[in-house]
Amino acid sequence: MVGIGYRKDFAEAFLQSSTLQPAFIEVAPENWIGVGGFWNKKFREALEKYPLFTHGLSLSIGSPDELDFAFLKKLKQFLASTGALVYSEHLSYAKCDNAHLYDLLPIPFTSDAVAHVSERIKTVQDLLERKMAIEIVSYYSPVAPELSEIDFINAILEAADCDLLLDVNNVYVNSFNHRYDAKAFIDQLPMERVRYIHMAGHEQVSDTLIIDTHGEAIIDPVYELFDYTMRKLGRDVPVLLERDFNIPELEELQEEINRLNTIKTAALKQPSYVTA
Amino acid sequence: MLLHDTTRRYQSALAGYCRSGQLEPIPGIHNEHISHYRRLVYNVVDDMLQNAYPLTHALLGATEWKNLVNEFFTHHPCQSPQVWYMPKEFYQYLVTVKHPLLEKYPFLEELLCFEWAEVELFMMEDRREKPAATYSLETDKLVINPEHQLFSFQYPVHLKPAHDITTADKGNYFLAAHRNTAGTVIFTDLSPALAIILSLLEEAPATIDELLETLEKDYGIVSSANDRQAMHLFFKSALTQELIIF
Repeated sequence: MVGIGYRKDFAEAFLQSSTLQPAFIEVAPENWIGVGGFWNKKFREALEKYPLFTHGLSLSIGSPDELDFAFLKKLKQFLASTGALVYSEHLSYAKCDNAHLYDLLPIPFTSDAVAHVSERIKTVQDLLERKMAIEIVSYYSPVAPELSEIDFINAILEAADCDLLLDVNNVYVNSFNHRYDAKAFIDQLPMERVRYIHMAGHEQVSDTLIIDTHGEAIIDPVYELFDYTMRKLGRDVPVLLERDFNIPELEELQEEINRLNTIKTAALKQPSYVTA
Repeated sequence: MLLHDTTRRYQSALAGYCRSGQLEPIPGIHNEHISHYRRLVYNVVDDMLQNAYPLTHALLGATEWKNLVNEFFTHHPCQSPQVWYMPKEFYQYLVTVKHPLLEKYPFLEELLCFEWAEVELFMMEDRREKPAATYSLETDKLVINPEHQLFSFQYPVHLKPAHDITTADKGNYFLAAHRNTAGTVIFTDLSPALAIILSLLEEAPATIDELLETLEKDYGIVSSANDRQAMHLFFKSALTQELIIF
């Protein structure tokens, strides 16, 4: 199944036509909690048609600040009232020194951060009474790293016993920005923890930097990495097409969904890659 | 405490840089790329504020706006985990710090209040219950739409382009804003008497006769036959617009 990030920019056109046919929709709870009126109606219309996956923005699981328990309470109510099938969040921080930043900052790859973040994930999972899937975020600079990125991620997944949201585009972006082999990186991930996959476009802003914009179509090398990932995974998991800006015609989004479905179906019919 | 002070300090340094543009030394960062975090964070905040306050943005010059957004984001720790709600904190910040721009533009506080009201009413949680199936404007108690706000302004920020407002416009302006079933936010100019009447309805539902009685008893406003007729017409229209419900 391939879903689409449900965005206000195309919500009306999406609900009024059958052009775009995702298997599910995904929203950020922060954009819908406590929202009424016109947008609540449109959201409820979408919920009547599609299963819901969620992808948080403000939990700030990697923050040095305390968890926001008032927000978690609202989040739990939202997940229950919408029947959300998955709750995922970013392995990053978006709040620090008691101030929200509304974007995803990279956590220092350190052992103490592993312990800190893992405990917080466990607390959130206990409170929400469900597992969460943690997304590997794209990043543009390391911050005081002591561990490698892969060691940092794997240590958290293991210690927190949480699921992994594998954003294939983010792995591609990070492999470009930090000069490593994306496939070798994927080979080292615990594939049994992959609950969900994200696919998106990006923008290369210089010879040495790609920004994860979600504002362009997916490029061929990322499709190719997706194919590799699906073969490596060897089982079906939900896949999401993310498009947040520069929204094209719905036909174009559907073509991307079709291509993702085709790659996935073909990959799952093939034997897995053998890796050293 | 699982997180070491050094890790905490580096996280704080990066967050502080995103807010203020002032970068303290952080080991291992890529100096050429780190500026994108500041740019991306600033753009999110700036976009949200421009969307919430298009009239204020148009009123202030580009430099004035940029300085204000920078000042706000540097000095104010945003509390809302929901980015759409953050612009309210911008308005509150200016009022709390008694910002000099509020003196330069005496109507700015009301303009921000007016602009935020539209966002908040449009987005706010649903509060309306199902309306009564049958009702009479003559005898039933009127209920004010719970998805509303009443305003008393000194400047006509809802009537004139901000650039054209001068101290000569200073006066008393009353305004109601509410959300209808379609989700549209509707603004209605009010006379002083209607502003009082709607504020009475905020306290409790009442019939038109009860409202007129209170108006006379508590405010000394005696209604003529014409006034009564005008009031009936207002409520008929308010009912159509869904400012009043049953």
